Amino acid sequence: MQKFFSNRKLVIVIILLIISFGLMSVSVAVRNKKSTPPLIQQFGNDVAGAVDRVIAWPVNGLQSASNSVSDLLNTYQENQKLKKQVDQLAQAKVNAQTTAAENKQLRKELKLNSSLSSYTTVSASVIARTPSSWMNQLVISKGATSGIKKNMSVMSETGLIGRVVEVNQTNSKVELISSTSSNADKFAIQITNSSGKTVNGIVSGYDKSTGYLEMGSVTSSVKIKKGDKVVTSGLGGVTPKGLYIGTVASVKQDDYGLASEVEIKPAADLSDLTVVTVAEK
Amino acid sequence: MKSRLCYIFPIGLFIALFLDGSLSNVFAGNLFKYPYSSVLHLDLLWIVFAVFLDDDDALPVGIWAAFVGLVYDWYFTGIFGVYLIALPLVVYLSRLMKPWLDLNFLTLLMVYIIDITITEAFAYVWYVIGKVVTNNLADFAVYTLGPTIAVNLAIFVILYYPVRQLYLRVN
Repeated sequence: MQKFFSNRKLVIVIILLIISFGLMSVSVAVRNKKSTPPLIQQFGNDVAGAVDRVIAWPVNGLQSASNSVSDLLNTYQENQKLKKQVDQLAQAKVNAQTTAAENKQLRKELKLNSSLSSYTTVSASVIARTPSSWMNQLVISKGATSGIKKNMSVMSETGLIGRVVEVNQTNSKVELISSTSSNADKFAIQITNSSGKTVNGIVSGYDKSTGYLEMGSVTSSVKIKKGDKVVTSGLGGVTPKGLYIGTVASVKQDDYGLASEVEIKPAADLSDLTVVTVAEK
Repeated sequence: MKSRLCYIFPIGLFIALFLDGSLSNVFAGNLFKYPYSSVLHLDLLWIVFAVFLDDDDALPVGIWAAFVGLVYDWYFTGIFGVYLIALPLVVYLSRLMKPWLDLNFLTLLMVYIIDITITEAFAYVWYVIGKVVTNNLADFAVYTLGPTIAVNLAIFVILYYPVRQLYLRVN
């Protein structure tokens, strides 16, 4: 044991630690500032992503196989329930189509080509999740070549799940709204109550114990009830308007009694993601 | 003498690394269930087996470990220099322990626990210094390290005999 901390080894250890620390600081700084990582980093990510795809393919196949077995088990009950919904949906769909057509026409008359709510989507599959307890990140299978840019919003089939934080050529990283480590979850949102009035705000945090999003410092006098719908408001640039986030779970006073805090139940299940949609404004 | 292990070890190491990622996504509901979060470490398992079952220390495990650590930082987290140093450190410490240990199931299990603890603690300390995470130490020990060790021990127990057989056959 005497030799363990001999001079030479101590020097090597210290140099290694300094190198490691330097690399970390630089990469954290680059991650926060630049819109895309340096070319060499993109290249490495693309190579790793290509290999990962080969390995993730059978794993995802197994997952979808087991999913279909469990789906099969409760098919009957689901079918009964869905049949009822389909009738109502047909009506709603026709209604939405006419409204969309009318909307398009009115926009043309107003010469309003792009509004806050118009966006295009790119679908991508999830290759991997960062195996770390500190970063709630996904790697998805589309990158800059498919038109993905940093800070775009990412949705699952049911609702908003996060934001693109790093873009490579053929894959990109998505930070989930459940991560508290950075400002990835600061979405501008809008709550509409049953009488059609809206409250604007920003997602201020994520409560890990309940899985709810929080919207703090709400001073508006508009009454918000449990079950009111929450969508993105489109303010602030990159996020389009009208992406569904979830419903209001509860409204309570904040610690000082001056403003209220709204808890939002996200519609998306953050632990079961295989296909995601990136919304491009 | 060059054995087939020279090729099988790095290939297996990268398969283990990427399996960590895709299995973490598939089982996200179980692995990252509040308040616990457990981290899969199949790559570390593979490294521990390589260090202890390669009798004449002929494999360049340390260099491969550094490389796979680099890929981990590069591809999964985007923050360099953490696993790049942590994984070779684990290899170095395991090699220090090796001469004192009788190789069997329990000792290998013990070494694996120590290695997981070192890797996770190293990553935690580094991320705290870099302000990537803001958890306190007690949370880390109870909600991350504990479940991580539990999950990985279960995987270790299942994979011990198959992986050992594989190593003994190709060596």
